[in-house]
Amino acid sequence: MTEPSLDLPQGTLDLLILKALSLGPQHGWAVSERLHHVSLETLSIPQGSLYPALHRLERRGWITAQWGASDNNRRAKYYELTRTGRAQLRTEAEAWAKLTAAVALVLKMA
Amino acid sequence: MLSDRLREAASDLRYRFRALVHRDAMEHELDDELRFHIDREAAKLSRAGAPPDLALRQARLAFGGLDRAKEASRDARGVSFVETTLQDLTVAIRGLRRQPAFLLATVATLALGIGANTAMFSVVNSVLLKPLAYHDPDRLVVVWPGHGAAKAVYQQFQAQCHSCEQLEGVQGAWPMSLTGAGAPQRLLVSQATTGLFDLLGAHALLGRTFHPGEQVPGHDRVAVLSYALWAGRFGADSGIIGRPITLDGVQRTVIGVMDPGFAALPRNTELYVPATMNSADYADYWWVSSLSLYARLRPGVTAAAAQAEFMGIVDRVRPTFSHRMPDAWGKDLIVAPMQEAVVSRARPTLVLLVGAVALVLLVACVNVANLVVGRTANREHELALRTALGAAPSRLVRQLLTESMLLGVLGGVAGVALAAVGLRALVAVLPANTPRIGEIRVDGRVLVFTATLAILTGVAFGLLPALGAVRASLRDALGAAGRTAGGAMARRRASELLVVAQIALAVILVTASGLVIKSFLRLQDVDPGFHPEHVIAAEVPLPSFTADSVPREKVFYASVLDHARTVPGVSGAAVALVVPLGGAESDGVMDLESRPVQPGESRTNLQMNTVSADYFSVMGIPVLRGRPFTDADRDGAPLVAIVDATAAKTLWPNAEALGQRIKYVYLKDTWITVVGVVGAIKYDSLSGGEQPSVYLPIGQSTYAETMNLVLRSTADAGTEAARIRAAVAAVNPDVPVGQVRRLTDIVGDTALARRSVMLLLSMFAAVALLLGAVGIYGVVAYAVTRRTREIGVRLALGAVASDIVRMVAGESSRLVAGGVAIGLAGAFAATRLLSRFLFGVAPHDPWVFAIVPIVLALTAVLASVMPTARAVRVDPVEAIRSEG
Repeated sequence: MTEPSLDLPQGTLDLLILKALSLGPQHGWAVSERLHHVSLETLSIPQGSLYPALHRLERRGWITAQWGASDNNRRAKYYELTRTGRAQLRTEAEAWAKLTAAVALVLKMA
Repeated sequence: MLSDRLREAASDLRYRFRALVHRDAMEHELDDELRFHIDREAAKLSRAGAPPDLALRQARLAFGGLDRAKEASRDARGVSFVETTLQDLTVAIRGLRRQPAFLLATVATLALGIGANTAMFSVVNSVLLKPLAYHDPDRLVVVWPGHGAAKAVYQQFQAQCHSCEQLEGVQGAWPMSLTGAGAPQRLLVSQATTGLFDLLGAHALLGRTFHPGEQVPGHDRVAVLSYALWAGRFGADSGIIGRPITLDGVQRTVIGVMDPGFAALPRNTELYVPATMNSADYADYWWVSSLSLYARLRPGVTAAAAQAEFMGIVDRVRPTFSHRMPDAWGKDLIVAPMQEAVVSRARPTLVLLVGAVALVLLVACVNVANLVVGRTANREHELALRTALGAAPSRLVRQLLTESMLLGVLGGVAGVALAAVGLRALVAVLPANTPRIGEIRVDGRVLVFTATLAILTGVAFGLLPALGAVRASLRDALGAAGRTAGGAMARRRASELLVVAQIALAVILVTASGLVIKSFLRLQDVDPGFHPEHVIAAEVPLPSFTADSVPREKVFYASVLDHARTVPGVSGAAVALVVPLGGAESDGVMDLESRPVQPGESRTNLQMNTVSADYFSVMGIPVLRGRPFTDADRDGAPLVAIVDATAAKTLWPNAEALGQRIKYVYLKDTWITVVGVVGAIKYDSLSGGEQPSVYLPIGQSTYAETMNLVLRSTADAGTEAARIRAAVAAVNPDVPVGQVRRLTDIVGDTALARRSVMLLLSMFAAVALLLGAVGIYGVVAYAVTRRTREIGVRLALGAVASDIVRMVAGESSRLVAGGVAIGLAGAFAATRLLSRFLFGVAPHDPWVFAIVPIVLALTAVLASVMPTARAVRVDPVEAIRSEG
């Protein structure tokens, strides 16, 4: 773990998890792997912090969990987006796009 | 959008519920899930070429703190509050079971404090707070409290009052003789207007209450029994309705028995008769009757509005009297909520006692806080270790608070048990005339109060030690955990401050009780103006068949006196209408020949008494001038009166009272000559002033009334009672002699209310003092332990026992001096609130304020004796060798 990495801004982890799950049901480790690879290993997400976030999202009803068999035939807990979760992902992604665009604009102008 | 919110909230609830109920299953799932993650990570790493055990270690490292992730996941599940509390409770219970002495000491101390407060609140709740046990009590008012209205006045009020939905009156409870069935008995009877029961929403258990027609003369020979009388005297006979009984020689039919839940008004009434409205009976209708008035106001009408209306009504009623009433008549009429009128008398006493008992709880809290400080000191090691392992300080505070709240709740449970047992004792000590005293019990509201109190108490005594301990453990976390000087010092200071607070609180209570005790002693020294020693008093009612015959009254009492004088041991006998300090009232007004009253002017209120010839000698009241009554002062002889010194001075300030003439207001030209002046006596209470009094001889009385026999006797009241009853029975076997009492007891009873306040306050002060002593003991004992090594060194260097005593005593005297100084300042401010309970003592009485520090000093000395003795016996060699 020597490569320079960025800490996540507060609250964005939820958004990233929702996005990772938007392609289909995944278990926790796969979500972690996915985020790590897709971000080109620039985001530093402590693996341990993933689970409280997953449980929080489950409690809010944005994702549901189900135990199933994994690819190597072990029992794993799969998370899946719910309808509300999908809607939430849309709203938050839009909000994020607006925010970053605005911030980028300001940085360019000033 | 809203439906989204709702769905989210529902999901949240469902999840939390599942998490709470299936706690173990979810905990397993979490373990499985995290293990799966780490295994996968390790598998990935070993595929990349790492050896299996290294791969696992790296996977764990990449994951971060496993426990922290678990804890955070639990938090995310939203149930950790309940779970953590349960966990803390388990730890707390385990810890407390290892230290039974600590557990017992804290729970017992808290039970004492909380129990006393629970019992006291039960009294306050039942007496002051609970609504009266009548229908819709908020609209009930008392009209002209403390002042009775004549029947003529009542009927005019009733006809004119528009604010009142209903206005009723009741007079009593007066003793009457029940004769005929079985032994004659004195009963407390009240006469009520016929609608009184409807007004209060009270129902009969058997039969009925009064009909409106039963106030008409001739139809009024009916009676309603209280439940207690029916169950007692009449053996709960359900055939009682319609049966005749004889009351004061008048036969009445029993028409009803009241419900056992009916709170009698006035409260000791055993039997009700209707108030007869007979305008032809002039004296009864306009003068003798004195109804207490109660009304139900129309909805929306305030007491103030009703009072304003009554101001107009009294102006219209005043001129209807046959002679001119003082202009001030009726001006003092007020309308007050009935609850207020019933309970207000008890409020100051109860407020005082609640204040005192709250201080006791505070002292108990401080004591327990001190114990807890001591205990957390022993756990410093554990706390420091947990801090080092990353437990958040807030988490530790929370655990310690959970423990102290557990102690508070245990103390509360024990306290409720204590209160349930002690409440009866408390009620027995309360003044017997406390309103609603029969209703006092522990109810739901009391339990809620106690639960709140227990939890608050837990926080109160737990917060300070918890914060202190955690601060200390943070500081010590990296050092050698345990006995570092800084922590011990801070702890000792905290514990010393607590003892100072305790002593200060105890000083306030002890000062208050000292003042009340001194007042009580002062009261014992008051000269009532007569000599109650060896005087016995007994009510001897008129025989019922002569109730309306004045001449036969005189014959009856004359022969009672003749018989009484022959009783062994009796050296003097007399009868009197009123026994001083006996609780009965007989006041009136008279016209003076020397100074006619101007129209509309008020006359001086006089204490009236009708007595027989030897009354003054039996009572030991000195005849100052003129002569006492003799048997020659009878009908046909010149009318005579005797006045007391106060009346002589008040009525004729510039002239000799002897030879002056007075007369009844309502009798024309029957002048009565003053032939004697006697010493003034106390009539109402020992603490009150002297009222001007007028005595009239029974031989010339114009109204047949029940008299009291007063005897000067060397025998004791018990023996004498039987002889008196026999002597009266010899005159008339149908006369029920009332209670036979020593006059000293009657005088003593006037101080009963003060006595209860004194007893309770002293008890609370004693408990506070005891707890304070325990606190001092604890601090001194700890100091000796702490300085054992030092003491050993001193002894080895040649110090003698007195040096060591001085050293140890110096430790406690500093605390006591501080506590006493603060306490006295507090007492100086607080005792001002006590003035209404004091008699002949100023709230800042220098003697009491001087004695209290001495009491505290003695307590401190007693509390320090044992640890000091231990200090003196220290073996220098042992002490120096030990760690210290």
